[in-house]
Amino acid sequence: MNGSPSEVDFDDISFEQALGLLEEAVQRLEAGGLSLSEATRTYETGMRLVRHCNEMLADTEMRVTQIRTAFGEQMRMLDEQDHGPRPDLLQ
Amino acid sequence: MAVYPVSQITSYIRQALEYDILLQDLWVSGEIANLSRPGSGHSYFTLRDAGKSLRCVMFRTAVGADKLSAGAAVIAHGRISIYELRGDLQMIVDMVQPEGVGELQLRLERLKMKLEGEGLFDPSRKRPLPRHPRRLGIITSPTGAVWQDIQTVILRRYPLVELVLASTPVQGEGAADGIVDAFRALREIGGVDAVILARGGGSLEDLWPFNEEAVAHAVFSCRVPVISAVGHETDVTIADLVADHRAPTPSAAAEMAVPDRLELVHGLSISEKMLSAAVAARVTAGSEHVARLRSKLDLGIPDIDTMRLRIDDLLKSAATHLDHGLRVSSGRADGLRQRLTTLSPALTLRRGYAIVRRGRDGAVVNEASVVAVGESVGVTLSRGSFDADVTAVIRKETTT
Repeated sequence: MNGSPSEVDFDDISFEQALGLLEEAVQRLEAGGLSLSEATRTYETGMRLVRHCNEMLADTEMRVTQIRTAFGEQMRMLDEQDHGPRPDLLQ
Repeated sequence: MAVYPVSQITSYIRQALEYDILLQDLWVSGEIANLSRPGSGHSYFTLRDAGKSLRCVMFRTAVGADKLSAGAAVIAHGRISIYELRGDLQMIVDMVQPEGVGELQLRLERLKMKLEGEGLFDPSRKRPLPRHPRRLGIITSPTGAVWQDIQTVILRRYPLVELVLASTPVQGEGAADGIVDAFRALREIGGVDAVILARGGGSLEDLWPFNEEAVAHAVFSCRVPVISAVGHETDVTIADLVADHRAPTPSAAAEMAVPDRLELVHGLSISEKMLSAAVAARVTAGSEHVARLRSKLDLGIPDIDTMRLRIDDLLKSAATHLDHGLRVSSGRADGLRQRLTTLSPALTLRRGYAIVRRGRDGAVVNEASVVAVGESVGVTLSRGSFDADVTAVIRKETTT
């Protein structure tokens, strides 16, 4: 996925990577010296990255994970005694 | 009966004192008297209490050395030693606190001093926060407002981040162990870009776990940057001092840890405009280039009539040059012929001069001294030659 932004795999890219590639595309295009077809391709990739970033910001739901700690275990055991297992404490 | 020299005894006393654990890490309360501060900058004083006194020295660099005042009731920390030059017993004080300060505060100040010395607060090790973290570790209590506040802020600003809660009690017995364990658990799962260590406000006792040495070391050895938000802004805990960044509240810590979605959206729209402007500029540049090439092509179409005229001109000019060249050459040849004639010896002979050669070797005679009387010479004239004998030699020093 490194190298040319035209080979971006949009399904498997983090926000930060997308933003990095976008910055790169803008810089490449602004620096000039690209052939017309390279410029068009860079532009298209850049615009797809903008859309992708916007979608990620708009649609992502925050993920919360709780990891096992000694204290978490104690709490879970206490809870199980009272109400049975708490699904939100362990994922 | 053994007899010892003084030096041996003073050094023995010194060792005895230094082996005593109590005397090497000691809190002493008393009143300051006989305070003096000579040019060295170190402070000398006596701690007094119920008519007894203890001589003290405090080096320039020790904590609170500049705040000593005669008559003040203080609690001093240090170790007992002997000044061997004079055999005086003295306390080497490394910290002084006003009397009345609670025990926790004393322990806190002492631990701060120790950890500072170990480099745990070193500003040069503070690490920058990642700009766009993917996973944030949150060490706090799962019950209570702090955890809720952090989730609310993150959800509003940057929901792209995954929150990983490592839960721990944040006050009371077991809290310090819980915090250390939470750091361990986060290290084990890995992949966390930064850690927030948070707790709401409370008394010094409530916040105490965040002043424990084990917690300080857990924060220090965390592999990713740590933001601490413990208590209110005015309560600075040791965890705050060790952490890479300190936030005044848990919500502020969450804000510090992630970028703001609105700013990102704004930044994206700027990138979008820049892309469009840059590609438009490229297309304009391309079409201008095409236009320039086209006008060059127009100029480049050949004009055959002009070319014919030019060929005629060239031919004429070539003929003229050729003609002129011939004339110049023949003129030069005449000149050369004349110069050759002038230089020829035949012409000179014709004017009456003769060439005389020595008979024995044929060398041309051009001064009298090379021939002797009786020697025969050959004389060449314009026409013919004859031999002659030298009858007299007249030498002349200079030729005219």
